[in-house]
Amino acid sequence: MTDLLQLLFAGLSQGAVYALVAIGFVAIFTVSGVINLAQGEFAALAGLVAISAVGSGLPLLAAVVLAVVSVALVAVIMERLVIFPVKRMTTLVSLILTLGVSTGLKALMLLVYGPNAEGLTPLTPGGFSVAGVSIRYQELWILLIAGIVSLAVYWFYERTLAGKSLRACAEQPVAARLVGISLTKASLISFLIAGTVGAIAGVLASPIFFTSWESGLTLGLKGFVAATLGGLISVRGAVLGGLLLGVLETLTAGYISTGLRDAVAFLLLIIVLVARPAGIFGRSAEARV
Amino acid sequence: MSLEVRGLHAGYGRLAVLHGIDLSAGEGELVAVIGANGAGKTTLLRALSGLLPVTAGTVHLAGTDVTGYGPEKLARTGLAHVPENRLVFPSLSVADNLVLGGYTRRRGPASARAEARDRAMALFPRLEPRLEQAAGTLSGGEQQMLAIARGLMAQPRVLVLDEPSVGLAPRLVGEIFSALGQLRDDGLTLVVVEQNARAAFAVADRVSVMDRGRVVLEGDPAALSTDPRVSGGFLGGGFAADADADAAPAAEAPGGTPVVPRSGSGATRATERT
Amino acid sequence: MAGRPVRRLPRIGAHSRRSRRGDVIGIAVVALLMLALPLIASSSVINVGVYALIYALAALGLSLLMGLAGQVSLGQAGFFAIGAYTQAVLVTKYEWSGLPASVLAVAVTMLAALLVGLPLLRLRGHYLALATLGFGVIVTVLATESDFLGATSGIYGITKPEMNGRTYNSPTEYYLLLVPVVLLGLWLARNIVESRIGRALGAVNDSEVAAESLGVDAFRLRVQVFVLSAAYASVAGTAFAHWLGVINPNAANFPLSVKFLLMAVLGGVGSVYGAVVGAFAVEGLDDGLRRLIPELLPGAVGEVQLIGFGILLTTIMIFLPGGLHQLWTGARRRMAGSAPEPGDDEEEIHLEPVADDVPLLAREGRPAAGTPLLEVRGLTKRFGGVTAVDDFDLTVSAGEIVALIGPNGAGKTTAFNMISGAVTPTAGEVTMAGTRVEGRKPHVFARAGATRTFQNLQIFTSATVLGNVMVGRHLRSRSGMLGAALVLPARREERAVEESARELLDLLGLGEDADRLAADLPFGRQRLVEIARALALDPDLLLLDEPMAGLSGTERRELARLLRRLRAGGMAIVLVEHDVEAVLALADRVAVLEDGVRIALGTPDEVRHDPAVVAAYLGVEPEDGAAAAVAEAGAP
Repeated sequence: MTDLLQLLFAGLSQGAVYALVAIGFVAIFTVSGVINLAQGEFAALAGLVAISAVGSGLPLLAAVVLAVVSVALVAVIMERLVIFPVKRMTTLVSLILTLGVSTGLKALMLLVYGPNAEGLTPLTPGGFSVAGVSIRYQELWILLIAGIVSLAVYWFYERTLAGKSLRACAEQPVAARLVGISLTKASLISFLIAGTVGAIAGVLASPIFFTSWESGLTLGLKGFVAATLGGLISVRGAVLGGLLLGVLETLTAGYISTGLRDAVAFLLLIIVLVARPAGIFGRSAEARV
Repeated sequence: MSLEVRGLHAGYGRLAVLHGIDLSAGEGELVAVIGANGAGKTTLLRALSGLLPVTAGTVHLAGTDVTGYGPEKLARTGLAHVPENRLVFPSLSVADNLVLGGYTRRRGPASARAEARDRAMALFPRLEPRLEQAAGTLSGGEQQMLAIARGLMAQPRVLVLDEPSVGLAPRLVGEIFSALGQLRDDGLTLVVVEQNARAAFAVADRVSVMDRGRVVLEGDPAALSTDPRVSGGFLGGGFAADADADAAPAAEAPGGTPVVPRSGSGATRATERT
Repeated sequence: MAGRPVRRLPRIGAHSRRSRRGDVIGIAVVALLMLALPLIASSSVINVGVYALIYALAALGLSLLMGLAGQVSLGQAGFFAIGAYTQAVLVTKYEWSGLPASVLAVAVTMLAALLVGLPLLRLRGHYLALATLGFGVIVTVLATESDFLGATSGIYGITKPEMNGRTYNSPTEYYLLLVPVVLLGLWLARNIVESRIGRALGAVNDSEVAAESLGVDAFRLRVQVFVLSAAYASVAGTAFAHWLGVINPNAANFPLSVKFLLMAVLGGVGSVYGAVVGAFAVEGLDDGLRRLIPELLPGAVGEVQLIGFGILLTTIMIFLPGGLHQLWTGARRRMAGSAPEPGDDEEEIHLEPVADDVPLLAREGRPAAGTPLLEVRGLTKRFGGVTAVDDFDLTVSAGEIVALIGPNGAGKTTAFNMISGAVTPTAGEVTMAGTRVEGRKPHVFARAGATRTFQNLQIFTSATVLGNVMVGRHLRSRSGMLGAALVLPARREERAVEESARELLDLLGLGEDADRLAADLPFGRQRLVEIARALALDPDLLLLDEPMAGLSGTERRELARLLRRLRAGGMAIVLVEHDVEAVLALADRVAVLEDGVRIALGTPDEVRHDPAVVAAYLGVEPEDGAAAAVAEAGAP
């Protein structure tokens, strides 16, 4: 029982990180139909920027803010340089383009920060234990901040004019242009959102899961799987998908084999896509964002 | 003139659809453009609202040369386009659809937005009880009303509509066209593209008949309805038509691939191709 | 309702007949350059060349997958590793000799690809790419976890190949051993691209639903290409294992998959030889960057060359999406001087004036007139809360024309889509010539002897008119992937297919347009091409969705005559049509749909006077246009 609780808790905090990455996929995909393969690199880059900022003597909070802002900037620049100039964005083109950015960012991180994996200083070091379940303060921070960020993103899409205009672009691009919404601006905003939430995921996860130039690959993949579980077009679905994936992974690692941990996500992905392409939480295609 | 189009040419890639269209609409005038499938009516509206590039000719909106404006800028300048198939935002509520209709006026006075909304509600009282409902759950007629109301929220000078009657029961067609008549009486300029010539003739001040990318006839509805070319040729369904590149939405027409012309009208697609 | 329009996968460097001839020249040039390299280059350059040749095979497989199936795999290195590991295990643990081991290694990889492909290829676009990426990760994990495979350190001691007492030890020797393998791979790939299979896959890329309606089993072909692509990767893997002598989990690494992708993209996915050119270019770049970057940035370690890959991938996609192949064909075209195609857009089609009742395309074995062919029972489709088609029944017999009419949005096209298998019905059954077809793919419908055309044309835009019609002969020819690869048995069949397609085009007055790109034709002719393509299937039942729409008066009359002649030839025809006048004059029976419900079924005369029909068209306004059409057409 204690084992189960321990695993569930670990799974939830891991899943919260996936959820944030997944929100980034959803934000971009709904507006421009692009699957951003560099989404995981956003998280890795934020982790590394924060680590090196702390290393050079910046206070932790300032380092975190610096990391999030600079990664958001990277995402925006990426949109302008790589997505915006392409007239005919097809699936294949968008995959190769974002793969190119992902590869370039990875190499850049390797050149700048070297090959070693490191962990950021936790927001609050240490932990405590309740009923035999040991809990790190950082895990609580992950859950808290991921929860707040998810709610904020949800509120943005549901309640603000800017958020609604992004949904309009996602649902009826032609009509959105006719009412005066600029699709290129919408695409830029969606990358800004994706960069920001990806970066937050990166700095939250780094103290526990460590960050290296390569860690964006699996994080991005898991985020994509989470987003897909939620139907790829819904913030709520992405969050639920992330939590579910995190829990399933830790349960697999705990009860079956640690080695199989990474296989769970892809088995789940294939099963869900073959059986329920709209995602397991999606009711229908009409519930967007 | 609220809207003045001179020698307009436009098309899809290598496929020219419009070959020099002249069209004008004075303030408070309702101009109907009729024609068979493939005459180029939808292409005309898409070119007017900036969805398609104009290859030659000019468009003036209330005296301003708006040729080459994109749809966002045109919407700000005062042209609202109620598209074929309505294209409401399905998962957003009716109220949110209206709010987004006023997107270009979001920095304008709130009183003007409220006024536009009240007018739209007065025009289509059926929408009032459905404000919180998702637009995708409305019936076809209600969606059409919402699409028009959304267009009005932009507080336009000119409203252009693409086949508002498509797929609607005759009673609803009557309701919608009488609303258009009312808007005209309130001083709005309207251009309505229609296949349903009878409905259009009933309210229009002037009618242009298009065929194969040209305006072939123009005049007041009373005179035109007795013209044998209109009653015999068009209403009988045998109006000669060629290269129809009308209804192809841009998203399905990646550059380089000549847009495959399609026929049939919007509602068929809206309801059957979901 | 009205979701995001489906984004089409691109056809990078679509194949027209012209660019294919370019391929032969391209392959020849590449072959010469490959053979010339050992004569002029130093040993270290040749060493790079060995890797380029090895990777070229894997990239070639990927290029086939992308060019033919329009799918991108980010897990090509996974199959590369499976091939390499199998070879290593067989050679080191079971002491097989290299050649038989490689045969088994390729077979094992193909089997793995089949098992992976069957679920994955049901996915499209993004999903497939990410799922294959996941597959690559899984292979790495499994290799790392498996003690049998040597875990992280891998398998050592794979010897260089020996043949006829000769050990292929030096880079030059190994290079020269690989050149014929790569050339063979190119030759097979080119044959497949040009074959019936390649043509069908090209059609699937242009319009899957149309290709399916002509009997092309898109899923099956995609699986075949996927397996083939894995086979290429595994050949590369075995060559890699022998050359390096050691194989470890890095062989399945994601960066390697990215490298393969870059090679294919750089060379130009639409071309066969492009992958080889891309492989040499990327390997050269890789080698150069590995040397250059640590010099510029002291302390840089690891896979720093990735930065070049990333930049190159992105810039190619933005500025040169067709890769180097695009530069090459562009240069050739400029040298040749471009000859613009004649644009006779206003011209109308004139068929030979033949009496209305002369049978067309009658053939042995066609069901006798009056035999029930298509039976539709209780067909229903609901979209969310809307019932588009409600409990629809229809029987169609050989040798009759049945029309389906109704106001806009009545559900005609939905009914069509369900009957032809493009849309799965909510309820009801469809039987075509004894085969239950509802909810199955359109190619099942086609196999049962029925096909359709589309309201919004679904021409194969990257093919010529002839190519379009030849796809229609898909079910009337049989050469498969293997036969196509080896050319010999397929060639005669190809000629027969081309001949019959040309005959059909002549019959429909399209003979002169046969070698033009179908997309360049004016609209009326594209409709005819679609009909010709459907007729090439030699169907017993033909479904036409608004065939008259957008045609001129003359073209309509010609089309009506054609349909009458087909009926006289014993074909059953169902058409959805807006043009009520034309329908009433042409059809034997008319079904009328309103709001998804069949409100009338009978002869044109019966329908014309049916009060429900009149009401449906009239509504409350007696002078409604369409109603007037019904009334006018009904007047003697």
